[in-house]
Amino acid sequence: MSFELFSNLVGAFFTLCIFSFLYKDNPFYQMSEQLLVGISLGYSLVLTYERVFIPYFYQPIFLKHEWILIIPSIIGLFYLFRFSSKLSWLSRYPIAFSMMSVGASVALAMHTSILVQMRQAMVPIENINLALIFIGTITVLLYFFFSKAHTGVYGQFVNIGKWFMMVGFGASFGLTVMARISLLIGRIQFLVNDVFLALKQAFFG
Amino acid sequence: MAEKKSFFVWMQSLDRRWIYLVVALAIIIPLLIPYNSDNVTTPPTENVYQMVDSFAGREDRAVLLSFYHDASVMPELYPMQIAIIRHCFERNIKVFFLSFLPTGAPIIDMAINTVKEEYPNIKSGVDYCNFGYIPSALIVPTVIGMGDNIATAVPTDAEGRKTENLPIMKGITNYNEMNLVIEFSGSTAGAYWLIYARPKFGTNIAVGVTAVMAADEYPYLQTGQYIGLLCGLKGAAEYEKLVDVFAAYRTPGEPLQPYIDENGNKIVPGRAFSKDILKQPEIKDLIKITTQTEAKFTPEEFELFLKSCPEKDQPLLQIAKQTVEGNIIIDVSKLDQDQLSPITWDTLNRLTRNTQYKFKVARVGMNAQSVAHIIMIIFIILGNIGYFLQKAQTTKK
Amino acid sequence: MKKTVPLLIVIIGGVIWLAWVFVPHRIIQDVFYYDFYLPWARAMAPFAMLLGVISLSMMHYGKIKRRVPKWQYSFFFFAGFIVTSLAGFIGGTQKGGLYMWIFENMQMPMSATMFSLLAFYMASAAYKAFRARSPEATVLLVAAIIVMLAQVPFGVKISKYIPDISQWILDVPNLASKRGILLGVGLGSVATALKIMLGIERSYLGGD
Repeated sequence: MSFELFSNLVGAFFTLCIFSFLYKDNPFYQMSEQLLVGISLGYSLVLTYERVFIPYFYQPIFLKHEWILIIPSIIGLFYLFRFSSKLSWLSRYPIAFSMMSVGASVALAMHTSILVQMRQAMVPIENINLALIFIGTITVLLYFFFSKAHTGVYGQFVNIGKWFMMVGFGASFGLTVMARISLLIGRIQFLVNDVFLALKQAFFG
Repeated sequence: MAEKKSFFVWMQSLDRRWIYLVVALAIIIPLLIPYNSDNVTTPPTENVYQMVDSFAGREDRAVLLSFYHDASVMPELYPMQIAIIRHCFERNIKVFFLSFLPTGAPIIDMAINTVKEEYPNIKSGVDYCNFGYIPSALIVPTVIGMGDNIATAVPTDAEGRKTENLPIMKGITNYNEMNLVIEFSGSTAGAYWLIYARPKFGTNIAVGVTAVMAADEYPYLQTGQYIGLLCGLKGAAEYEKLVDVFAAYRTPGEPLQPYIDENGNKIVPGRAFSKDILKQPEIKDLIKITTQTEAKFTPEEFELFLKSCPEKDQPLLQIAKQTVEGNIIIDVSKLDQDQLSPITWDTLNRLTRNTQYKFKVARVGMNAQSVAHIIMIIFIILGNIGYFLQKAQTTKK
Repeated sequence: MKKTVPLLIVIIGGVIWLAWVFVPHRIIQDVFYYDFYLPWARAMAPFAMLLGVISLSMMHYGKIKRRVPKWQYSFFFFAGFIVTSLAGFIGGTQKGGLYMWIFENMQMPMSATMFSLLAFYMASAAYKAFRARSPEATVLLVAAIIVMLAQVPFGVKISKYIPDISQWILDVPNLASKRGILLGVGLGSVATALKIMLGIERSYLGGD
């Protein structure tokens, strides 16, 4: 048995452990679930150490002697005070530092999510599709404007947005079904090709 | 009628584990029994293909692939990544890789190594460059910095070599040359490129997303903020088809690798995208997912093919050929690989139009997807019929 | 001190960041961004990871100590975490080492399988819960079925118009609804960002 086949068998074992949950909750699934969390955390910890801690904390401070960076390191350590009931207010400082960049998102989100989308929605209505997109966009926006009651002619106009949303959600559902099944197909392809057929090849030629 | 109603009542209370079993079988059986099918290509995929293909053979153009996902969405995204990398290697397009997630970096390595096995002439640092994992704290400076100078924004590649010294960087400075970014993601795709790279530098952006996210990306597609979109496994299947029909297509007598013609022009093999070619019924022979072992030639094509082979192989090919209905057929499964020179063997295998499994994973998966979708629709219809019959029964009572 | 200083940091920093978008001057682009913000943000970043490690470890230690139901499985969490971390720190993160082997043959299959369970749940939900109870639900159902058929090669065999109808559904009504929602979300996020920047929204600072 080759090392690759052995590795695939290990992967297949844990795959089947997780799939066993479909029949009912069992110790194999519980074990795999906790292993997954532990391994993911260990993986991220090592990578963070290697790719963030060493090049951006250790090397600048201890090798390049940029002593000023001790200040943000101490502020970063304040994250851990979250667990203390008396000193948990210290953890607000690093959070505040990372929240500063929200200022840029005011302008940039305005541009990307609003201005460009609005500009494109206000093109000359040359055909029926563009007219439908224009009406759909307006009615969907108005549907979520709850300060005015959805009654009378206004209510009927706004109701058109509901129909657009139903079609949109139906399309999303159809694509979501495809996505979920694709993930399952990927796993089954692994079990069929890399494990079952490889085992057949290894033992029966 | 009472029997029918009790059948539907029974169906309503069916244990969900039977449903799971039916879904599992609906996927396992088509995977064990492959059959040929055609995935109709859509404009969002075709636009991505055309833009990538427009860089064919050019020293001053490159594509950047950003792997912004983890292993959980690989079944949908990995086949499209393989297809795009194969397209770039076939058509001599420079390609860069990076990932802003630690879990994306090993996936880049896997993807490159998977495709590179079939292209021994492709070299790291010359035809492709992997920047590896770039921490998320550096997303904004990297995305913006590449607009001025890529070698400054990303000083070293994943192998520790200085970016500015790499041969691939000849002719590539910033987004003006590395003019297309394709981001693969299972969640927020293309956000940073959309916000920082496109408005400031006019970079073209395309995304490869899971089907869950695809519906949400259409507004950006219509505004032109994205030039194209690959939607889940179907997008991957469409791209695989386009690569087989155009980029990987070879005619008898055509070299497999790029070459310089008598006028000093670089000729890249394969053919350019054309909607007319996609409508031709002959392309069905190029996209078969069942194993193909027979290379078919017209007599003229066979002469061209023979001329392109070394002289020592020609007698063997003459012996191996069979004539069927005026066409010449060579079955590679009846030939001994060791008796032929490598170039003849590779060319002959190419002309069988057989696609390796790793380059048709999405299309094989789409067969299972077809069956699974039909099963889901049947479930929905059956569930609704049962519900309405039960409702009618309750109303009557 | 406890809340005022962090609030001031966010307000003043937010204004400088807003200026960063529009002002090309050296003081904002080079001195503030490249010389101050980036090195400080990078130096702070690794400690956020420690928060997650300590939090999860404390939770599982508590489970073992209090002997809650299924406490034994917390040992597997510690086993996975310790073995992977040691393999990475001692053996290195290069391909071929134990660390990458654990990632590729244990973490990747398990996380992919967790997501693939959703396909089964979706099938069960489609059968048991997806009902055309109202005209709106019926429209949703019909749109979903057309899109599902168009995604697969089989759809074009049923009718050659199905892919075109599906593409129209995605290009017109889906686009309109997603654009309306996107505009609403965009307006909401700009409003929230402004509220944070002006110190009106303080929930990110937590309780007192």
